Amino acid sequence: MTMRLIGFVLAAGGLLGGAPVDAGALASAQEDHESWLMYGRNYAAWRYSPLDEVDRSNVARLVPVWMFQTGQPGKLQTTPLVRDGVMYVTGPSNHAWALDLKTGRRLWHYSEPVPTDLSLCCGKPNRGFAILGDRLYKVNMQATLVALDRRTGDVVWEVAAADYRQGYSNTVAPLIVKDKVVVGIAGAEFGTRDFIDAYDAETGEREWRFWTVPGPGEFGNETWGGDSWKRGGASTWITGSYDPELNLIYWGTGNPGPDLDGAPRPGDNLFSDSMLALDADTGQRKWHFQFTPHDVHDWDSVADPVLVDMEVDGKSRKALVQANRNGHFYALDRATGDFLFARAYTDVNWADGIGPDGRPILIPGHVPDDEGTLTCPGMGGGHNWHATSYSPQTGLYYFNSGDGCQIYHGATQDFVEGEFYLGSAMENVTGEPREGSILAVDPSTGDQSWRFPLVSPPTSGLLSTGGGLVFAGTAEGYFMALDAATGRPLWRLQTGGPVRAPAITYRFEGRQHVATAAGGSILVFALPD
Amino acid sequence: MRWEIVLLAALAVSVAHGQKLQSSPFHGDEASTGVGKATFRLRCSACHGIHAEGGRGPALDRGEFEVGDRDIDLYRVIANGVPGTEMPAFGARSTEENIWRMVAYLRTFQPEEGQGAGGDAVRGEALFWNRAGCGACHRVGGRGGNYGPALTRIGRSRSLAHLRESVLQPDADLPPGYYVVEVETQDGRTLRGIGQGFDDFSVQWTDAAGNYRSYYRNEVASARREFVSVMPASYGESLSEQDLADLLTYLQGLRGEGGQP
Repeated sequence: MTMRLIGFVLAAGGLLGGAPVDAGALASAQEDHESWLMYGRNYAAWRYSPLDEVDRSNVARLVPVWMFQTGQPGKLQTTPLVRDGVMYVTGPSNHAWALDLKTGRRLWHYSEPVPTDLSLCCGKPNRGFAILGDRLYKVNMQATLVALDRRTGDVVWEVAAADYRQGYSNTVAPLIVKDKVVVGIAGAEFGTRDFIDAYDAETGEREWRFWTVPGPGEFGNETWGGDSWKRGGASTWITGSYDPELNLIYWGTGNPGPDLDGAPRPGDNLFSDSMLALDADTGQRKWHFQFTPHDVHDWDSVADPVLVDMEVDGKSRKALVQANRNGHFYALDRATGDFLFARAYTDVNWADGIGPDGRPILIPGHVPDDEGTLTCPGMGGGHNWHATSYSPQTGLYYFNSGDGCQIYHGATQDFVEGEFYLGSAMENVTGEPREGSILAVDPSTGDQSWRFPLVSPPTSGLLSTGGGLVFAGTAEGYFMALDAATGRPLWRLQTGGPVRAPAITYRFEGRQHVATAAGGSILVFALPD
Repeated sequence: MRWEIVLLAALAVSVAHGQKLQSSPFHGDEASTGVGKATFRLRCSACHGIHAEGGRGPALDRGEFEVGDRDIDLYRVIANGVPGTEMPAFGARSTEENIWRMVAYLRTFQPEEGQGAGGDAVRGEALFWNRAGCGACHRVGGRGGNYGPALTRIGRSRSLAHLRESVLQPDADLPPGYYVVEVETQDGRTLRGIGQGFDDFSVQWTDAAGNYRSYYRNEVASARREFVSVMPASYGESLSEQDLADLLTYLQGLRGEGGQP
């Protein structure tokens, strides 16, 4: 059969992408070695694949299989999805592609114009698709959620979650839970009031909304002085996780607004910088835990909520762990929200540990002012948003960290809709560049097993595999494999572009492949034939 | 269809605000100048200083500006950048209204007197090339060394205070991307130079003789970078106040304009 004929059959016969992805396929995503079906690989957000064909002994022989260049400006931050011989990739500025998994050839290209008057803090990235049935779901920059036919890339429906003219935007990869598409929102740098939404996957109708800043009469509204709740932020720009047994969705929230000036918003500012556990059917809050009450350092707590069953202090726990941007690693009981423990993983000078009640023990002198205060970690953290990985094989949790301090300046600023509402800015410390590291910790204690130093703050997410490997990238363009047990680098390639995405792995035509985005390209690797 | 309408509307706003306005509509509007200040701190303070006092970029707190003293002059510089300098164009990264808010903020500073170094540029030039030895490392036009940063246009891009600080305390504020690399070779030699690259697996530098070196880090015993300058920190002792004024006056006049070396 000629290639042209195969292409015709794929297009005409509806074979492209294969059988629909049902809820059962998503629930068992961890066992599906041929696919990558959701942002965190499984509902527990492990980003661990049991595939072990590529291992410590042979990873040095990895070679490129194909490379796809988007041809669009901007760097990829996406977690590609893989299903039935097709890779689905989202890119910056509302672009997306379906690629032939064998050759990297483009099957379709979706794009939607980005409004010129968007208020954006941090570029125009997108972090990935979700998949259900024959549809793909992604957010667009202008705070919309779109459903695409995965065979053609055609739009099935598009709904606006919020009015982008008010400062909202979106970059998050959606999470499918049962028949719903769950998404967060961005905009806290512009004084928005943020939320987590669930939409009917079939129709696009909104099923529930949880406001991450409670309104008058709602629990937590009293933690916002005056009407500051209206501009409270608490964005939800990284994908959460889901426990099917408890039927709870876990989703982290971002900084309160204005970022660095706490004066206009006296109080703890719930549910900013928090972990939320929401009933998957109703969006009702089951519990919350606030990492940084009344944050004045922009320490979003959106990082992956990773679900691990483990013993803590001799007691079996259904736990949730998070490497928080404020410099501490936390373990919570995910059924109750109880605080289990926290440990600093990088230099921290603003808190003398976390108390038994889960609140930081504050060290005076770290409220940003006009002259500036030197605080560690710097504004980006600590661990920021980059995808993390838990390996049940090593029992270690892997995440990266920005290490170093910054000078935080605060100033009073009136609110203007759609404009930056930061309450001032940060300065770097002269002669002390911020650096970074990749860490392996025992999630049940927070003890560090190893630390791989990075010359720059980290940019990529992580993947761990049954081959005893951790895949990572760097700002300087290296894509590399580390020994999951020791952190020793075993293989690397200079890709020529900063690696800002986490790697994925899957088996295709009997061989394990590893794929990552670097710069504006997708690169796929495997062992030689 | 929807997007065509949005784009047309955006174009209309652009014409209304960006092209026709000659001065900021936000003068005296505290909320807007506050937003302008916040945006300035976010976008501009790394070079112009957190209080607009200047740094690598010119001081903007003097109430007068080299690019012109009309609001539209400031608007154009912010929106379009200054070709040939480190000043980028912010037009694509900021709304027109927000640029006008920054202009309103910068206009809140009042003019001061006496910004010149008060020396003799001719004597300063002689000092630069002879006794002070600056030209051994720094280049002006086609003349001079390559070890230190080129200074051909330094008078356009640095405040007087920053020039003075750089002469007297070279480590105080290094140019972006400047660092020193020190490498110990496997046979025990120590090599040092201006860093050209430093990542998790490789290191590159230029030595004092101008040779470019590139190694993987497993080829050397150790490699580290220091955020210090190799320039002598002794000019405060070797130059008189008059020498310093002359030298700074010469440097202030280096603008990369026609006829200059």
